Amino acid sequence: MRATVTQYVPGRSPLHRLDPRIKIVAVTALAVALFVRDSYAALAVFAAVAVVAVLVSGVPPRWFWRGLKPLLWLVGLTFVVQILFAPGEAFFSLGPIHLTWEGIERATFLSVRLVVLVVTGAVLTLTTPPVALTDALAWLTRPLRRLRVPTEELALMVTIALRFIPTLLMELDTIMRAQRARGADFAHGGITTRARALVPVLIPLFVVSFRRADDLALAMEARCYRPGLTRTRLHPLAAEARDWLALALVAVVVALAMVV
Amino acid sequence: MTAPLVDIEGLRFAYPGAPGPALDGLDLRVTEGEAVALVGPNGSGKSTLARLLAGLAVPDDAGRAAVCGHDLLEPQGRLAARRDVGVLFQDPENQLVAEDVEADVAFGLENLGWPAERIRERVEEMLAAFDLDGLRERAPHLLSGGQKQRTALAGVLAIPRRVLVLDEPTAMLDAGGRDEVLAAVRRVWAEGLTTVYVTQEMGEVSLADRVVALEGGVAVFSGAPRELFADLTLVTRLQLGLPAAAEVALALREHGGEAGSLPLTMDELLDTLAGGAR
Amino acid sequence: MRLSCRGLTVAYVEAGRAIPALTDVSFDVAAGVSVALLGPTGAGKSTLLQALKGLLEPETGVVALDGLTAADEGFAARRREVGLVFQRPELQLFAGSAREDVAFGPRRLGWPADDVAVAVEAALELVGLPPTRFGERHPYALSGGEQRRLALAGVLAMRPRLLLLDEPFVSLDPAARRALAAVLRRLLGGGTTLVLATHDVDAAWELCDHRLVLDEGRLVAAGPWAFGAGGEESLVEHGLEPPFLVELWRRLGRSAAEAPRTCAAAAEALR
Repeated sequence: MRATVTQYVPGRSPLHRLDPRIKIVAVTALAVALFVRDSYAALAVFAAVAVVAVLVSGVPPRWFWRGLKPLLWLVGLTFVVQILFAPGEAFFSLGPIHLTWEGIERATFLSVRLVVLVVTGAVLTLTTPPVALTDALAWLTRPLRRLRVPTEELALMVTIALRFIPTLLMELDTIMRAQRARGADFAHGGITTRARALVPVLIPLFVVSFRRADDLALAMEARCYRPGLTRTRLHPLAAEARDWLALALVAVVVALAMVV
Repeated sequence: MTAPLVDIEGLRFAYPGAPGPALDGLDLRVTEGEAVALVGPNGSGKSTLARLLAGLAVPDDAGRAAVCGHDLLEPQGRLAARRDVGVLFQDPENQLVAEDVEADVAFGLENLGWPAERIRERVEEMLAAFDLDGLRERAPHLLSGGQKQRTALAGVLAIPRRVLVLDEPTAMLDAGGRDEVLAAVRRVWAEGLTTVYVTQEMGEVSLADRVVALEGGVAVFSGAPRELFADLTLVTRLQLGLPAAAEVALALREHGGEAGSLPLTMDELLDTLAGGAR
Repeated sequence: MRLSCRGLTVAYVEAGRAIPALTDVSFDVAAGVSVALLGPTGAGKSTLLQALKGLLEPETGVVALDGLTAADEGFAARRREVGLVFQRPELQLFAGSAREDVAFGPRRLGWPADDVAVAVEAALELVGLPPTRFGERHPYALSGGEQRRLALAGVLAMRPRLLLLDEPFVSLDPAARRALAAVLRRLLGGGTTLVLATHDVDAAWELCDHRLVLDEGRLVAAGPWAFGAGGEESLVEHGLEPPFLVELWRRLGRSAAEAPRTCAAAAEALR
């Protein structure tokens, strides 16, 4: 199991092997189209696409469930709000609560739509390693360089940050234990007490990180890194026929959804 | 006679705000193929020199400061030096940037804009040369200290270099890691790469062709390791880490023992003791 | 402080699996004794030290301090008298001055301000960082070796009767190693029970009278050094070299059991 920070599940499915840029574009297009059309037929099309994608990805469903869980509250909230405040004739009333069939219909529609959105997005993050995502985003946002936005440098920053997260977590754990050995208490007390208790942990972490930044910058310069360079890649992004085919398929689906 | 790869005379460098200069008129000459050990107590300027040699710092002044024919006093010269001079630093953690070993070894070549095919070939060579093949997809935080340093070394040497500088590369490793890294460095030496090896351990010094000792920002000794080990006052002043054999011999000599070079190994110590018994 | 362990088993969870770190570790350490905890990297030395300090909960097994276990009333107080110095302890320095950082531990113990001040001064002296010169210095302005000794002072200020050290010499330059060894030698004379985890057999030989050898989480040897006619098999079997001076004595045809502990003593004996 890889670091769950980024939710990537390794695999060899056709979706895993798709060019990440195509995947980002496809998912974005699907997400936008999902919200543009308000028809049941369209929703059914998108839901079908999502289900097919989940099956083709080969990623065990529990991962999708894990991605969905944090957003269940939003789905629930949407459902409840729609039910309570929808217009139409109530078939059941209890004080200020009026339940209408239209309300229930609407609530279901919006909730399902939200779920489809999350699952479609999850297909992207579960089948694409974070570095591939960063590379793809850097490529897609390259036109922004003309506006002086440092897309390459930002992409590298993200990669480096991801690389050091597990290291920082390990260091955090060690420092906390060392301070606990000196009597620090992170478990008890109100918010202010606990916040203050973290000072002996946060300061060393900051110091380590600043030193690390210095050392790392030097090591990178020693390997001929300079900001503003156009860097090549060991695994360059190269779209093949099947990637374009996939994109075409998605375009067809979106077009279909626009007319049903 | 070929020009020395490192040709430095009167190098001066001071850190801003520091009470004194880190390097105060340093001379250093290294010919091609030499393995030079650089020793000295804390604050003698060893790490500073390592960075200057690689074009990673700006000298304040020098009579002459040429590395691989590049002038360290010129910005272009320093940039060029970064390409020809590789540096391996002390901290295994803070040199690895990428998500796994393979990607990290490729980092330098990506910076140089090599085409993907060439990068792939070179990365394969480096992974094989440093025994990293089985670790290629391992994330850096899952590597041992020795593995991290080998990865960093592979990444440094992936860019073809003319000089390699190592700044106390084993100082933060345990015994196992130290052995791993020294074995890797020896392999690199066997191929004739010109090296400057900064260390404080006598055992590592003995592996070099020549030792240069720094004290107070100047070179105070340049010669064969054996010569250095025969100068007990100097050895003590330089605050070298002594192997046990040398410590025993040193303790014996404090009370009027043998002259000659300090032993480094058990066998050498036994020889010294046998010699004394005559 | 007396220290005992019975059947100590510690595991940690990684990726949903339980990985055994210590299995059925049992030993006794008398008060005032110095013990080297030996073993290759990954043998479980750090885990054992942290379990003794109570930072890790064992699966099974009992730790007894001065004969008291977790069930007994005085146990928590005893635990507070156990000092643990982590690997690379300078990473825990955070305060604005050396004194402030050393004072952290005693203050957490709830000592009155006067007692804290006395303990801080004494601890700084003990580690060779005289408070008049170093007291107000910023921890990050000190050298690596000085920082390490400062972190040690932070633990010593809590007046531990049992001191646990995890690889105290790692990543130190030779001068700093020598300075730290001198501090530890000074400590040993003071009656503190000392457990020193290290993979440096020579340092262990010089500083400690007893040894515990761990290999892959199991205790394979306990008690005083056992060099004699048979030699110390447990060390060699588990990937550790015998101490240099012991090997030297053997090569010189002398009795390994009489090997000197320090190079100076060896030189003395050889003259």
